[in-house]
Amino acid sequence: MALEVLERRPEGRVGREALTIVGRKTLRKDAVAKVTGRELYASDITLPNMLYARVLKSPYPHARVKSIDVSKAVEMGAVVITSQDVPQVLFNPRLVSIPEATYKDWRVLTDRPLFVGEPIAAVAAETEELAQRALEAIKVEYERLPAVFDAIESMKPEAPKLHETIILKDREVKVERNVACRLEIAEGDVEKGFKEADVVIEREFRTNRRYHNQLETKAVVVNLEPGGGVTIWCTTQTIHNTRLLIHEIFGIPMNKINVKKISLGGSFGSSIHTNIIVPIAVALALKAGRPVKLVYTREEDMHDHVSFQMIFRLKLGAKRDGRLVAGQLQAIVDIGAHQIQAYPILGVIAGWWVSLYKLPHVKYEGIAVYTNKVPSCAFRGYGNPQTTWAVETLIDELAEKLGIDPLEFRLMNYVGEGDIFWGQGPTVKTVIRSCGVEELLRRGAELIGWHRRPKPGQQKGRFRRGIGMGRGFHTSSAGSPVPGSVIDYSGAMIKINEDGTIDYITALMDHGGGSLEAIAKIIAEELGVPLENVNIITADTQTTVYDVCTHASRGVYAGGATALKVARQVKQKLLEMAAKILDTYPHALRIRPDPKRGQGVIYVEGIEGKEITIGEVAMTARHKNWGTIAAVDSHRTEAGPPHFTAYFVEVEVDTETGIVKPIRVVAGADIGTVINPDLARGQIHGGFAMGMGMALLEDTPYDPDTGDLVNRGFLVDYKTASAPDMPRLKDFTVFFAETYEPTGPFGAKGLGEGAFNPAAAAIANAIYNAIGVRFYELPITPEKILQALRGGGENV
Amino acid sequence: MYDINKVNTHIVPVRFTYHSPKTLEEALELLSRYRGEARVLMGGTDLLVKMKMRALEPSHIISLRKVRELDYIEFDDQGVRIGAGTRLRTIEKSEEIRERFPALWEAVRVIGSVQIRNMGTLGGNLCNASPAADTAPPLIVYGAEAVIVGPRGERRVRVEEFFKGPGETVLEPDELLREVFIPYVDDAGSVFLRLTRTSMDIAKISIAVAAWFRDAEITDCRIALGAVAPTPIRIPRAEEFLRGRRISMETLDQAGRIVSEDIKPITDARSTAWYRRAVARVLTRDAFTIAWHRFESRRAG
Amino acid sequence: MEIEFTLNGVRKRVQVEPNELLLNVLREKLYMTGTKYGCGIGECGACTVLLDGEPVLSCLVLAADVDGREVTTIEGLARGEELDEVQKAFVEEGAVQCGFCTPGFIITAKSLLMENPNPSEEEVREYIKGNLCRCTGYMNIVKAILRAAGVIPQTP
Ligand SMILES: Cc1cc2nc3c(=O)[nH]c(=O)nc-3n(C[C@H](O)[C@H](O)[C@H](O)COP(=O)(O)OP(=O)(O)OC[C@H]3O[C@@H](n4cnc5c(N)ncnc54)[C@H](O)[C@@H]3O)c2cc1C
Ligand code: FES
Ligand code: FES
Repeated sequence: MALEVLERRPEGRVGREALTIVGRKTLRKDAVAKVTGRELYASDITLPNMLYARVLKSPYPHARVKSIDVSKAVEMGAVVITSQDVPQVLFNPRLVSIPEATYKDWRVLTDRPLFVGEPIAAVAAETEELAQRALEAIKVEYERLPAVFDAIESMKPEAPKLHETIILKDREVKVERNVACRLEIAEGDVEKGFKEADVVIEREFRTNRRYHNQLETKAVVVNLEPGGGVTIWCTTQTIHNTRLLIHEIFGIPMNKINVKKISLGGSFGSSIHTNIIVPIAVALALKAGRPVKLVYTREEDMHDHVSFQMIFRLKLGAKRDGRLVAGQLQAIVDIGAHQIQAYPILGVIAGWWVSLYKLPHVKYEGIAVYTNKVPSCAFRGYGNPQTTWAVETLIDELAEKLGIDPLEFRLMNYVGEGDIFWGQGPTVKTVIRSCGVEELLRRGAELIGWHRRPKPGQQKGRFRRGIGMGRGFHTSSAGSPVPGSVIDYSGAMIKINEDGTIDYITALMDHGGGSLEAIAKIIAEELGVPLENVNIITADTQTTVYDVCTHASRGVYAGGATALKVARQVKQKLLEMAAKILDTYPHALRIRPDPKRGQGVIYVEGIEGKEITIGEVAMTARHKNWGTIAAVDSHRTEAGPPHFTAYFVEVEVDTETGIVKPIRVVAGADIGTVINPDLARGQIHGGFAMGMGMALLEDTPYDPDTGDLVNRGFLVDYKTASAPDMPRLKDFTVFFAETYEPTGPFGAKGLGEGAFNPAAAAIANAIYNAIGVRFYELPITPEKILQALRGGGENV
Repeated sequence: MYDINKVNTHIVPVRFTYHSPKTLEEALELLSRYRGEARVLMGGTDLLVKMKMRALEPSHIISLRKVRELDYIEFDDQGVRIGAGTRLRTIEKSEEIRERFPALWEAVRVIGSVQIRNMGTLGGNLCNASPAADTAPPLIVYGAEAVIVGPRGERRVRVEEFFKGPGETVLEPDELLREVFIPYVDDAGSVFLRLTRTSMDIAKISIAVAAWFRDAEITDCRIALGAVAPTPIRIPRAEEFLRGRRISMETLDQAGRIVSEDIKPITDARSTAWYRRAVARVLTRDAFTIAWHRFESRRAG
Repeated sequence: MEIEFTLNGVRKRVQVEPNELLLNVLREKLYMTGTKYGCGIGECGACTVLLDGEPVLSCLVLAADVDGREVTTIEGLARGEELDEVQKAFVEEGAVQCGFCTPGFIITAKSLLMENPNPSEEEVREYIKGNLCRCTGYMNIVKAILRAAGVIPQTP
């Protein structure tokens, strides 16, 4: 079975061929615990004397709590909190941006709910069932207020107002027409640009509001420590920002808040911010004086977070020769009832847009709008998949209109090596130093048979096949040479134990993609030890230095760079001590892993006998009281380089039922040095499955009568692909471009989000190629396809 | 009434008394004793879900797990008798069902997942009375009968008449479905088809057809659809239209048009009324085409 | 009420309420947390266990109904530190990412291979369709199961 095209060994790069661990297939350290059921997740934690909590949620999309009677619940023995029992502070649960870019409009518990599911009160009791019954015993009187479910409607003067004032840094901001925030950018002269263009196309696109459906629902366990401290286990992508927020809300000194790192059952952005259930559980534990556990049910989780939904008005102009000359984009972003990262998303949409193709003249307007819906947060790609879908659709259209092969059109205009790249919006810019786009496009085209694809709309017969492509990228971290509005640095501590094993201690999270695994390899490679000797330590906020968050595909790139920096410091100390013992100079020493001895061995090249194991050095250091060989440091990368991806997809459309089946996929990725080949492929497989969901399946529509989700949060009506829906093994090819990122650890870049970003675009373009119809609204369901093929709405 | 704060899929947020009778007789006695307040539990794949969602709050649960006498597939000279407590997976694994009642086998095979079919039963699928219950259309076109038992003895109802509305059947609160009887229709060509959003889903629309032919003429046929009306339904007008006609794309298309006119679909989370009508036509054509092929190959071999 | 059942080969006697689910008894009373909650309504398969040797969803099984029966959870597959073939293949084929779906998949796969030691790719996909994974796109999972069956060789 020819499963996948194996990447060729990199050649010709300095030092690359000498790598012994990086780039090889290795077994994951955490996998054994995961396959035996021993890996612990936040929802698995149980503490002695613990109470179970439940949250009382608003049944209305917009209301005022007139009265709330908790006496029955209290009589049942439950501990109850309402908005009166929590600190009266407004906050933003996401603390990745600087204060000047962080709008605050959240409360721990509210008496003015703005969406169905917003927490009003919470209870804790001896069992979950008792907590459930106590919850049902709470009587709330609501005054219902009018609600709005569409971003465009919401900006009309007659629309109900969701927020009067919100806080930016320390200042009150008045909210006008439900606009949460706004951003405008212009470069060049867009009017002039469009005048110069021979072909201009403008379209309106509407994306879906997807639910992350991370397999572990949000969970938190809070323990109380003597002296007023709290220990927290929770689903989070950032333990330090969680601690910061709990400090901000409750005023508990930071050294008395300890947030534990624990495995996360998937996240995809859903825990990029501190989940609202964390402060709720802390408040309950403080009031009860006992540990509290709060785990959301799936239906609660679906009422907790979704992706951003965008309405794009995109206009692009090109010359007859195929050069793009101007672009204009308006992005109206439906953010739901509260801001989690509404302002930053406006910036990154612009960034993703201008970093796809070179546009000499651009004009951008981003508007984030409140609606009475579940709040939006980051979702894998952070606005990039949506932007890429719109751009890649329009690029395809332009190419067709110009009579240029869409592949060549892309190659003529893409942003590549030497160009400026906006990694996280206008304040985070980097010069691109490695780029494999051309290789991705040419090789991908060859593998899928691009030049044999049918002409759009020319096919007859019921089942029609088409091939489409989507090209994209994502930033690897939000690093840049100057501080932007996004905080981005990592921290690591590495110490050498007396037997030569290594402890790697970091706050960086691994959501399952294998970031920490890759970093362990980087450390092993640098220190010349067998991979088994690097131990990734379970850590917490008390024992680690700050790390911003595992997001923005920064784990391997920025976390790895940090670990490499610290490993080098440790190595320097190690070699200094070894030199003393071996009577030589540190710079004359080399290290190699010695699997037989299960150790790294330090040696002098060419002189036999002058060698010593790392363990012997560490043990000698102990005996001679030289101290522990260890280092700790923070690191900010000077770049946030893009990793590039390209998808070529073949679909089959049943024109009688509108059903689309992806049948063949070729995916190429330029991620610099491939540290973990099998895990990297896994990211791409998963990215494609998610892209399929975005293109064909996923959405969370509202029922205007109830103001609730049509599916009420039940998974039975939020469908994602299952195993038979994916292409066969032999029909899914993954390959990697041969590039080397000079700013990355051993030449590596990120992958997690690029693996997903252009997948939906490729599927959409393939549908067009098959049936000759374009869709400007996601998801492209069989219902929409059939309607389009039957000429719209005609009753059979 | 749905209440966001009452729903909890992590536990069964309803208190009840649990009974675990060992015989059918005991079970019936318990049902009579708690008339209206009890529900029988088979695989629980519908009942427990509904209780978690608080759509049902019975105060007595009568688990039929130990009632072995409801679990059987027996072929006699009339047809097959399937105990209501037979798990879907058992039916799926029966080679004889696959041979002789292919539409039923096809329907069973696509229900839920292996886990669901290991738990769920034929009786549960019918008694739950979902308009989308996949076993219903094939049983209807095969002319199957539901054998019902209760304190007043046994009665038989055609599966076609078993459903009264979503979640409602002809069963009295003190009655049980004991068995489904399906007469042999070995000379028919039959098939079950459905459309879903993903491969693990409840039907947007389903159809079963059983048809008899003489050369290319349709001598008789039965058509039943699921998820397009408050109950699974038969389409007599389309059957009537087809009887005595030669099979052709045109004829089938006209029959499909009748089917799409006679169903009463709604728009819900899974699909739209418009789409259901549109594809009903396609499915009718597809189903008859397959049924005819099967009829032919059966006759040939 | 008290129930008695065999859990991974060991007799257990537990006090349960009639409305308690097998899933929660396993996780909260017996501290076997390898079996996961993902949806509670049968859609995700994260709670899959073997009941009398067959895969079922413990989120839809009353503990009371388990009295006298045999339950196998993910914790019961390995013999000491020695992994089961399926577990080993999952580790080696990169079939594990966040790992939250993994126990359910392995239990389901185990059952498949007991029933059908030589499955085709189609059969594998069909059999695991009730198990949801949001991370892997199922590719490496399918590969791992075929590999555990010896249908395909180990990926180099
Ligand atoms: C994830 C998932 C996917 C599913 N997919 C499908 C699908 O694709 N197609 C489909 O048709 N169904 C599907 N179902 C529904 C369900 O699995 C089936 O309907 C199943 O056959 C129900 O059987 P059960 O034994 O579990 O019923 P139970 O839940 O035990 O019972 C269902 C109802 O019938 C009553 N009842 C059961 N047996 C009797 C009896 N003998 N006499 C009187 N009353 C009785 C019960 O009191 C209850 O009200 C799905 C369910 C889930 C959770
Ligand atoms: S938790 Fe049981 S199937 Fe999802
Ligand atoms: S590995 Fe994360 S859900 Fe499957």
